[in-house]
Amino acid sequence: MPTVIIDGQKVEVERDATVLDAAKKAGVWIPTLCYHPAVSISGSCRVCMVELDRGDWRQLITACNYPVRRDIVVYISSDRAERARRGVMELLLARSPESPELKELAERMGVKSTPYPTVTESQRSCILCGLCIAVCEDIIGKAAIGYAGRGVDRTVASPFRQPSEDCIGCGACAAVCPVGTIKVRVHEEQEEVEISPFKSRGKLLVCEQCRAPIVSTQVGEQALGKVEMNREEFRELMRLCPKCRRSKTAARLEAGNIDKQRGGRVVS
Amino acid sequence: MISVPARLTSPSDIENLANALREESRAAPRSVRVCIGTGCAAKGSRRLYELFLEAATQSGEDIRVEAKCVGCHGFCERGPIVVIEPGEVFYQRVEEPDVPEIFRETVLGGRVIEGLLYEDPSTGKKATKATEIPFYNVQERVVLGMNGIVEPTSIKDYIARDGYKALVKVLTSMTPEEVVSQVEVAGLRGRGGGGFPTARKWRSCREAEGSCRYVICNGDEGDPGAFMDRSIMEGNPHSVIEGMAIGAYAIGAEQGYIYVRNEYPLAVEHLKVAITQAREIGLLGKNILGSSFSFDIRINRGGGAFVCGESTALMASLEGRTGEPRAKYVHTVESGLWGKPTNLNNVETWANVPAIINNGGEWFANIGTEKSKGTKVFSLVGKVENTGLVEVPMGITLRRIVDEIGGGIRDGKLFKAVQTGGPSGGCIPAEHLDARVDFDELTKLGSMMGSGGMIVMDEDTCMVNVAKYFTDFLQKESCGKCTPCREGLSQMLHILNRIARGEGEVGDVEELGTLAEILEGTALCALGKTAANPVLSTIRYFRDEYDAHILDRRCPAKECRGLFRYEIDAEACKACGICLKNCPADAITGEKKVPHTINQEKCTLCGTCWEKCPFTAVLKI
Ligand SMILES: Cc1cc2nc3c(=O)[nH]c(=O)nc-3n(C[C@H](O)[C@H](O)[C@H](O)COP(=O)(O)O)c2cc1C
Ligand code: SF4
Repeated sequence: MPTVIIDGQKVEVERDATVLDAAKKAGVWIPTLCYHPAVSISGSCRVCMVELDRGDWRQLITACNYPVRRDIVVYISSDRAERARRGVMELLLARSPESPELKELAERMGVKSTPYPTVTESQRSCILCGLCIAVCEDIIGKAAIGYAGRGVDRTVASPFRQPSEDCIGCGACAAVCPVGTIKVRVHEEQEEVEISPFKSRGKLLVCEQCRAPIVSTQVGEQALGKVEMNREEFRELMRLCPKCRRSKTAARLEAGNIDKQRGGRVVS
Repeated sequence: MISVPARLTSPSDIENLANALREESRAAPRSVRVCIGTGCAAKGSRRLYELFLEAATQSGEDIRVEAKCVGCHGFCERGPIVVIEPGEVFYQRVEEPDVPEIFRETVLGGRVIEGLLYEDPSTGKKATKATEIPFYNVQERVVLGMNGIVEPTSIKDYIARDGYKALVKVLTSMTPEEVVSQVEVAGLRGRGGGGFPTARKWRSCREAEGSCRYVICNGDEGDPGAFMDRSIMEGNPHSVIEGMAIGAYAIGAEQGYIYVRNEYPLAVEHLKVAITQAREIGLLGKNILGSSFSFDIRINRGGGAFVCGESTALMASLEGRTGEPRAKYVHTVESGLWGKPTNLNNVETWANVPAIINNGGEWFANIGTEKSKGTKVFSLVGKVENTGLVEVPMGITLRRIVDEIGGGIRDGKLFKAVQTGGPSGGCIPAEHLDARVDFDELTKLGSMMGSGGMIVMDEDTCMVNVAKYFTDFLQKESCGKCTPCREGLSQMLHILNRIARGEGEVGDVEELGTLAEILEGTALCALGKTAANPVLSTIRYFRDEYDAHILDRRCPAKECRGLFRYEIDAEACKACGICLKNCPADAITGEKKVPHTINQEKCTLCGTCWEKCPFTAVLKI
């Protein structure tokens, strides 16, 4: 197993583990934004820059995707590495000055403000890390959103910037967004869920008893396909919100008419 | 006419064919070669070819005349170009009405028409042959040697001129490792920009784990104004195919791709014809010339973006994905196209290979400098007398290119800088004009070899504006994937725009320096990493121009609008009234016989008076 020396600290990792993996193992923090263990690594945000010792020179590399294949020495807190990360963060802050999440990360990195004005116009609050796109494609198996435009005009959008037919309203994109730009909005009156800012809307499954929204209809249907218990029973349970479901189950238990042996794996 | 055998199945087949073809061409001593490269074709050379062809077919029985389409000669500015054999008579700026005269006088009569010859603007001397023209006689043509001679769409013509001889040589007498060694001895370095040693790349790819390997030719050529690769693909496509086949043999690849920029329809057409011809006679496909080596090539048209020329973006685009770069910590020679070992080389790199095999690595290594061997093709443009495509031995000084080949600066102006390396290259000032064309020397000067763009600038060029122009280009071409390039270039451009508007601030130059460091250190691909070169090199050599803009609100080259004013020289003014009539802002006053004046308050600095004045009495101050 190759050894990585991080700021003087030695760790062993599997071949082809990344420098970030090694740092985690060593308990050293390296900031990341576009990295998420669940999806393929794009290495696009560049906030995880560290220095790699090349003998007579040092190379700035991204920790998230640099594969360890031999014994290496890296520096996280060297001057140049810190300057590089700070530079990238300052540029991001200029792009998205409003995001509290970004500011919080910046502060943790010791970056208090940015010397740059905000000069780029499109989708200011989005840092274009691409996690939402990756999760939608890699994990959910849809491609409801993607990049549109090039360079500074790059944005994350649904095809033709129209509400996407492929969106199932699951909200996974919102869950991984590191700067809180993507939001799941529930429109109770229309019984619809909206993924903002993509304008995609889907019908909500609402509780048959109390009309509380449960989940988007399409997610419900997809979930049905994956459940290994009595489908009819699940279908029935799906129509209720967790609260009503609990009271119904309790009522049935009391009545003693549930087959406890057949308990499924539904998570409520 | 020699008919090509259905299929060449052994090395002796092709040798016999070449001999027969040579015999045949000896029988037709007269030929007319019409350039149909994109430059000349744009000036109607196709029509010239048709007219010559007609004349040739009607010329009677006793003499045989051959009319050929050939590729670019490089001197596009003087096109259309027509060369007559025997005598290599070089006619330039040929027009349709000239055809009958050329045919009668030169082709049939052997007399030279003075009026169509090139005339040296400084000496007034006429040149009959290309080699007598200074533009050509300093050049050394290894890659472009056959351009303008061979008919690009005729495999017979290529074979008659020793084409595919190098492929036969490697298949019959060299092991793959010997081929790599020859390229190593030659010291060939990539012509696509990076200057990476070609043999080292080939060897890594050959030794990489995996059963299936690919070779790719990069014909994306996105640098504005560059047309080196286009001319090779259009003018001598078989040389690229032969080079790739040799490389594939050395590396162990069976499939090749040529990725051609979408805007090059003629290159695509010629390559397609050439590939089909090679396949038909068995120089591509299964068991080439009866050997165990099989190789074929497919053409792909580029995705349109400049960044698609970057190796990983190009491969993504070939796979049908968005042409965006990825990290190269795992090299493409190990995991490239579809995750397989892949060797990518530039068009010019591939086109050098047959000559190296034919003449030996030593021969190639004798041309050039210690670490930069062979020749390099440049597209020479800008404020020089002669522009065009030039091929020079490495090691030649920039001065010789500018003064001898380029014929010096136009209109008696002073030289200011030469920009090399394409959009992310740098500007080299007069004090370094004796620098030699060499990968490392140009890099040391803050520029680079790049793929061969060369733009000459004169004293009227504002260097802040130059930096702004290239930064703007790169900012528009940035794919936007990574933060530093996407955001950093916008920030740089924002500062440069301010400076050029006269709103620069003390500290701007330093801030540009900081952003340059961020880009260089943290951008994902080479586009971003080198994008600050235009800014850095102009700051390095022309800091005074930045300061003049920032501190004095003045543009010394008088190019940045608002940072100079127009005035009328009372002595030169003939009071003709033209400026007065044309001024859209009514800022000019004057009467008959009274020198005119510009009201600076009203002047919008549009420059109309400056352009219109027939007496150059309007000055930029
Ligand atoms: C933004 C960008 C654009 C590029 N465009 C080209 C191109 O148009 N043609 C080319 O041959 N190489 C281009 N390159 C260089 C290629 O990535 C690659 O290094 C080259 O094709 C390798 O061939 P060589 O070793 O023969 O030079 C480009 C690189 C970058 C970063
Ligand atoms: S450096 Fe520029 S072109 Fe290259 S990946 Fe980053 S944004 Fe794209």
